[in-house]
Amino acid sequence: MPEEPNKIEIKDVSFSYDIVEESDGKAPRKALDGINVTIEKGSYTAILGSNGSGKSTLAKIIDILEVPDSGKVVIFGKDAGDDELFWQIREHCCCVFQNPDNQIVGTMIEEDVAFGPENLGVPNPELRERVDQALKDVGLYELRHRETMALSGGQKQKLAIAGALAMKPDILILDEATAMLDPSSRDDFLEVVEKMRVEKGLTLITITHDMTEALRCDKLIIVNKGKVAMEGTPEEIFLSNDLWQYGLKRPVKYNYAFEIARLTGSTLTKEDLKSDDTIIASLVKMLTKPGLKAPAVENKDKKEIDDKDIIMSVKDLSYTYAGGDGKAIDNINLDIRRGEVLGIVGESGCGKTTLISHMNAIIRPVEGDVTIHTKDGDLSCKNKKDTMKIRQNVGLVFQYPEYQLFEETVYKDIAYGLKKMNVSQEEQKSMILEAAEKVGLTERELNASPFELSGGQKRRAAMAGVLVMRPGILVLDEPASGLDPRGRQEMFAIIKGLRDSGTTIILVSHNMDEAAVNCDRICLIDGGKIKAVGKPEELFLRKRSEELGIQRPRITRFSSMLKTELKKHIPGVVFPEKHFVPETEAQSVVAAVVKAGEKNA
Amino acid sequence: MLNNISLGRYYPAHSFLHDMDPRVKTILYAVYLVAIFIIKEPVTIAVLAGIIILQLIMAKVTPDILWSTVKPMIPLALFIFIINIFTIRQGDVLFSWKIITITGYGLMRAAIMAVRLIFLIVSTSVLLTLTTTPLKMSDALEKLFAPLQVIKIPVHEMAMMMSIALRFIPTLAAETDKIMKAQQSRGADYDTGNFINKVKGYITVLIPLFVSSFRRADELAVAMDARCYRGGKGRTKLNPLRLTLKDVLAGVMFFLLAALVVVLDLSLR
Repeated sequence: MPEEPNKIEIKDVSFSYDIVEESDGKAPRKALDGINVTIEKGSYTAILGSNGSGKSTLAKIIDILEVPDSGKVVIFGKDAGDDELFWQIREHCCCVFQNPDNQIVGTMIEEDVAFGPENLGVPNPELRERVDQALKDVGLYELRHRETMALSGGQKQKLAIAGALAMKPDILILDEATAMLDPSSRDDFLEVVEKMRVEKGLTLITITHDMTEALRCDKLIIVNKGKVAMEGTPEEIFLSNDLWQYGLKRPVKYNYAFEIARLTGSTLTKEDLKSDDTIIASLVKMLTKPGLKAPAVENKDKKEIDDKDIIMSVKDLSYTYAGGDGKAIDNINLDIRRGEVLGIVGESGCGKTTLISHMNAIIRPVEGDVTIHTKDGDLSCKNKKDTMKIRQNVGLVFQYPEYQLFEETVYKDIAYGLKKMNVSQEEQKSMILEAAEKVGLTERELNASPFELSGGQKRRAAMAGVLVMRPGILVLDEPASGLDPRGRQEMFAIIKGLRDSGTTIILVSHNMDEAAVNCDRICLIDGGKIKAVGKPEELFLRKRSEELGIQRPRITRFSSMLKTELKKHIPGVVFPEKHFVPETEAQSVVAAVVKAGEKNA
Repeated sequence: MLNNISLGRYYPAHSFLHDMDPRVKTILYAVYLVAIFIIKEPVTIAVLAGIIILQLIMAKVTPDILWSTVKPMIPLALFIFIINIFTIRQGDVLFSWKIITITGYGLMRAAIMAVRLIFLIVSTSVLLTLTTTPLKMSDALEKLFAPLQVIKIPVHEMAMMMSIALRFIPTLAAETDKIMKAQQSRGADYDTGNFINKVKGYITVLIPLFVSSFRRADELAVAMDARCYRGGKGRTKLNPLRLTLKDVLAGVMFFLLAALVVVLDLSLR
């Protein structure tokens, strides 16, 4: 059979990570189970799927970082099973992985970029040219003599791209490369990638949980349980109603468009989804149809918060790290209201983590103070004697808390904090079970080793370890990062449950979409200072967000495009409300259109 | 707190010592190590201090940087100083109370011991860690120890391991800090209680730290694999080590200075 020189072909490949469970004698779970994939040269493909679906393994198979147990891998006509061609294939296929810190080899930027071509034995004048060119391509040339550790997360990922480009690859694989970046670094990174893709004619394969990012691709492949569940163009895939079972969701604007279609009794076709313009055009057509019925707007309105009932006050708080240049946070004044969800939003390095570290005296206030108002009186973070009481009242869950689990069983790990308090064995047990229930862990999971759990379960176990102290205030640093869309949604459901049971929540996030949906108020931090505090619907008014220089949530941007268009077609239509859940926003738009129609008639 | 560790950290700058061939620096380092441990006389110690200060200036090391390297070793130096004061009983007695006896000779010996330790740290930093990137250092060691390959010692692999270890010091320090903070917010207290309790407290830090180190090692191995790393064979270098006349001359000069100090010291005894 002739091999195709212009295709990546994965034929009937199976692979397992060889974990044979001795206790139950089960066959090892297959990460890939007879998967078949074809990717055209020069195309832009996204591989999507839930956590643990096998999508990262698929990427490793393409770069022959893992050798399949069975099946055939042919890269541009070269058989990966052939030992002679092995290095040739790997040379022309490069990967950028998720964690920037774990893929940098060099201490200095240019040393790191040179690592790949050095391994290939590229001789010197050419080696120098390649390194310089790669650094210029990603915009790090000026920094080439700096330390790699001094770079920000986004810069580190660009460095990884430069390291790949210096090897002159044909194929570039991004394995959740943007997962740890904030939105502006993410856009920046994707822009560089897109430029390189076009300029160098790369075949680009991206693995991502970001559905809007996936819209940029020519083709989507959905992997589930080691098999291809669906493949097609983004329009084809996102027309399907089966996404949820694969841990995925539609992109925000599609959710919105599909809800409007449903409410107006219309359907969207593949052609309608071609671009933003076609979607808007077809939505306008649907909404200008006669005989629309006003839907009930699901008013999941955020509950009223008493703005006089303050549970924590941050006063004149400033902090400078030893050896750091400038203040990490500068004169922060913030009142946290009992029962609210307060979002703390800002770019990486703006001082969010420093601020929350003050909230339970992990960093003791030097200038200014944080006071916790409890039933038994006020606790000052400055006061050493109050430390234990403060930490019991204010639970703090850092980013990626699952990396900090250490006990033999999840149960014992959750119990860790309680051992430091004088609680009877009986009471401990009921508190642990209560915490486990709040995050949805079963008894089987409680008795398992933390290292046997899936990523999402581990994170919940780590959260339970904080919740077990029954804190009145819970501070969460990026609780959903790295999770697939379904995992994210489940995490926010847990947070909502905690809020409904009366816990005050402080949510650190750089995702505006999620902050807008889940927070009662948002506090915007920039360069260590508070830039604005307010309700999401106020902050994300067009004028206000332009003043503040923040990007509005995707739903707001897309919806206002539609609203502008509708105003041209329907005289006198007004949109008084703004919602951030796409479905609710869709309902309110339809309701407003119907109301205008009635008035005009 | 742990983020500010400067042990083994590179200080990026352009200076004579930064540009010097790392092989020369490694050899010089060995020479100065010997010198530091041979000399005993206050005069020669002062001369050696002068030479080290000259090196610091040539490396453009600022007092801040110097202080941050020396600072963590001060408790150890003090400890050595105090132990020596109380244990050396030769010479004229300056002060005596119950079992405590301090002698002039003991005081001086103790000071020399402490100063040696400080010299050791400063020399290591100025000749090696502060002015030489880990990759350059591993290049130098690989070249210097290349003859050992004849007896099947994996010199390249060992050098690579060392440079990666150095590269990961700040990363793991940051990780340790994060784990400790997370456990502190769950009520951990590393500073109180008896010794056993403190050790127990740190074990809960070490377990996740080990687990995450292994995870990082795994990921790094995959990343290096993806970048076609296959050992030292056939590798080229972006900045191959080049021994210039300047390096040789500077090396010889510093070697002679060290030799001079040692000879002077021996002749003073």
